[in-house]
Amino acid sequence: MSHILPAADSALSSKLLVVESDPGAVNAIRSFCNDHGLTGLRVGGDNVLQVLASNVDLGGVTIAEKLDGIDGVSLGLRIRALRPELPIFLRRDARVGLDDLPERAREAFATAYTLDDIAALKPEIDRCIFGMVYPNRLVRGIAEITAQALECQFKGLDVTIKSPYVVRDRLIFGELFTLIPIESSWCRGYMMLQTEEGSLQRLIAEGRTYADEAEAADFRSVNMVLGEITNLVWGAFKNRYRAEDDSAALYLSQVPIVVNHAHRYISFGSTDPQLCFRCVLTDPTDPELPPVVIHQRFVFNLNWSPEDFRENEVSVDNLVACGDLEMF
Amino acid sequence: MAQILVVDDSSTVRNEVGNFLKANGFDVAYAVDGRDGLVKLKADPAVKLVVCDVNMPNLDGLTMAEKVRGELGNNAVSIVMLTTENSPAMKERGKAAGVKGWIVKPFNGAAVLGSFMKLVGV
Repeated sequence: MSHILPAADSALSSKLLVVESDPGAVNAIRSFCNDHGLTGLRVGGDNVLQVLASNVDLGGVTIAEKLDGIDGVSLGLRIRALRPELPIFLRRDARVGLDDLPERAREAFATAYTLDDIAALKPEIDRCIFGMVYPNRLVRGIAEITAQALECQFKGLDVTIKSPYVVRDRLIFGELFTLIPIESSWCRGYMMLQTEEGSLQRLIAEGRTYADEAEAADFRSVNMVLGEITNLVWGAFKNRYRAEDDSAALYLSQVPIVVNHAHRYISFGSTDPQLCFRCVLTDPTDPELPPVVIHQRFVFNLNWSPEDFRENEVSVDNLVACGDLEMF
Repeated sequence: MAQILVVDDSSTVRNEVGNFLKANGFDVAYAVDGRDGLVKLKADPAVKLVVCDVNMPNLDGLTMAEKVRGELGNNAVSIVMLTTENSPAMKERGKAAGVKGWIVKPFNGAAVLGSFMKLVGV
């Protein structure tokens, strides 16, 4: 059975990390969050960096200028260094604005506000966190598609799709994720599914999936389960949201890319050998400088027909050096 | 000799479909993609039915179906696509390649068992 929480029909929410030591301020910010689609998560200045190192799915951070024994501006700069993708809002006691702060601090904070004028935070929240419009019908439809895909891949489990939200952070959840392109005339990008390997492995061992229970210890079985869910959601998304006459709908086969961090493993579906180049960057004048190694791989997993290989003939006259402006 | 060849890059789907078919008395063989499917079908031309995914690495299912008819010259085997794809254009391509049926995933064995039995001739 699947459940899609009613809030999936309403406006999206987001999580705001609230770094505060003043209970009065916490209450005021919490009230603001409740009124504006945010979930406030309070954390103290002494452990915010540890929380941020692992906390996923955040939309932003608000931090007080003065915390108990801690300078909020300095801490904000450290937060910025740790999680540059998160907008940080500075709560000040009196002065509104950032003009009196050093340039580095002015760049680190998205805006400043006071409790007396907390409403001024709203346009900044809208700009930084709710800047992209996701139509409700699309959000609801994705929830339905996903619920159906999960329901048919697991035996005897309830599927609950919780209220959708927007995130700004870039942390990966769990050890295992899949990636597949989503393309149409109105959108282009990727869908990712992320999970913890161990929890999925347990379900395989318990016979709750269609993977072979005897192979639960083989992490590739876990990869396959998440890969098939990805495939089902991807297919249903295309069938529901891509018009048949969409020029981007010209048939191009895709398979999920599966990444398992715990095993440093990435699968493109094919087991064929990959063309790999190892590039090493060194400084000839500085032998002490550790070399930088870049691995480049070409993975022709969807089609490889070397018999049709051809190279465009380009005359020297037509060559344009890299960086040159080519006029037409 | 297998009666049904299940071609899918997902071992989860191969297990799900294969176990259902075996439980209903069919002999089942497996291939992991379209390229492997061609090899298996060439080695065992007595296969009566191919249940085949569309999106697979190395060789997709529709191209495989075309090669079954063209390169292998096997016009006897029935091919049914089992896929997330639902586009009329793809179905038309499948029809042109002699595909007999199209199932949009997820797989529901009970709904297709009767048709499979007819296609295999049991």
